[in-house]
Amino acid sequence: MGGTPPCASCKLLRRRCAKDCIFAPFFPSDEPHKFAIVHKVFGASNVSKMLQDLPFQQRADAVSSLVYEANARIRDPVYGCVGAISQLQSQVKQLQMQLAMAHAEILCFQMQNDSSSLVNQQLEVDDDGGENKSFLLNNNMIMTSVPQSMNFSSSSSVFPESLKRESLWI
Amino acid sequence: MSIINGGRRCAACKYLRRRCSEDCILAPYFHPSNPYRFACVHKIFGASNIARMLQHLPVHKRAQAADAMAWEAYWRVQDPVYGSSAIIAHLQHEISKAQNELEITRAQIAILQNFQQTQPNQQLQAFWALEDEPFVQPDLPHI
Repeated sequence: MGGTPPCASCKLLRRRCAKDCIFAPFFPSDEPHKFAIVHKVFGASNVSKMLQDLPFQQRADAVSSLVYEANARIRDPVYGCVGAISQLQSQVKQLQMQLAMAHAEILCFQMQNDSSSLVNQQLEVDDDGGENKSFLLNNNMIMTSVPQSMNFSSSSSVFPESLKRESLWI
Repeated sequence: MSIINGGRRCAACKYLRRRCSEDCILAPYFHPSNPYRFACVHKIFGASNIARMLQHLPVHKRAQAADAMAWEAYWRVQDPVYGSSAIIAHLQHEISKAQNELEITRAQIAILQNFQQTQPNQQLQAFWALEDEPFVQPDLPHI
C-alpha cells in the first residue's frame, strides 16, 4: 500500500497529510525549507487561513510571495521586505535625477542650436555694415518643451520616506 | 496596566482581551489609538510570532521592526495574493524603464556631442525634426 509521502508542512507539523491538505499542492516534501521559513515567520495556521480565503488558482502565487517575504524577513529581521522596497525607491530617485540631468543636457543643446540659428537669421537680415545688434539670446530664445519621457511614473512613493513612528500609520 | 500607555491597555492586549502588563513587549509599538495596525499584524503574523520576533531583537531596533512588520501586514491585507511583493515588482519595473530611457537619452547626447564636434557650423535640423515627435518608448522585449 504505497501512499504519497506527506507534504513538507505535515511532515514538519508531524501530522497525517490528508488528501485535501491545503498545503500539499504548494509545499512538496522535497522542499522542506520552503514551509519551514513560512511557518517560522507567519505561522502555519495563519498561512492556512490566508490560503483558504483565496480561490485555488491564486494560491500558488500567494505561496510564492509569502516564501519571498519570509526569506526577506529571515535575511533582515528588522526591515524584511521593507528594506528592499526602501533600497529600490532610492534607486528610482537616483535614476530620476540622472534622467533629469540628461534631459537638461539635451535642452542645452537645443538652446544652443536655437540661439545660433537666431544669430544666423539676424546676420542675414541686417546687412547694414556691421552694426552691433543684440543677439536676443536671453529674451527671445525658443524654449522647446521637455520630452514627455520626463513624466515617468512617480508612483514609486508607496509609503512615507522614513519609517518614523510619527507617521500616519502609527 | 502598562505605565507606557498611561494605565490603558495597548492595542494588542485590547484586541486579545488580556491584561496589559507593565513589561508588555508589544505595548510600546501598538498604541491603543490605532487598533487597525495591530489587527493587520495579528492577522498576518500572529501576536505570538510578532512578540517572539521582537524579543529576538535589541531594544533599539524593535520600533523599526514593528513598523516594518506593520507595513508588510497592511500590504498583505490590501493584496492577499502578492502583498509587498507587488510593490517590489512595480519598483523593479520602474527601474528597468528608467534605465532604458537613460540609455536612450545618453545615446542622444553622444550623437549631439559628436555632431557638434565634427560639424560645429551645421544646424541640427534633422535631429530636432525627430525630436518634434513625442517621445515614444521603444518596444523592448519583456524579460
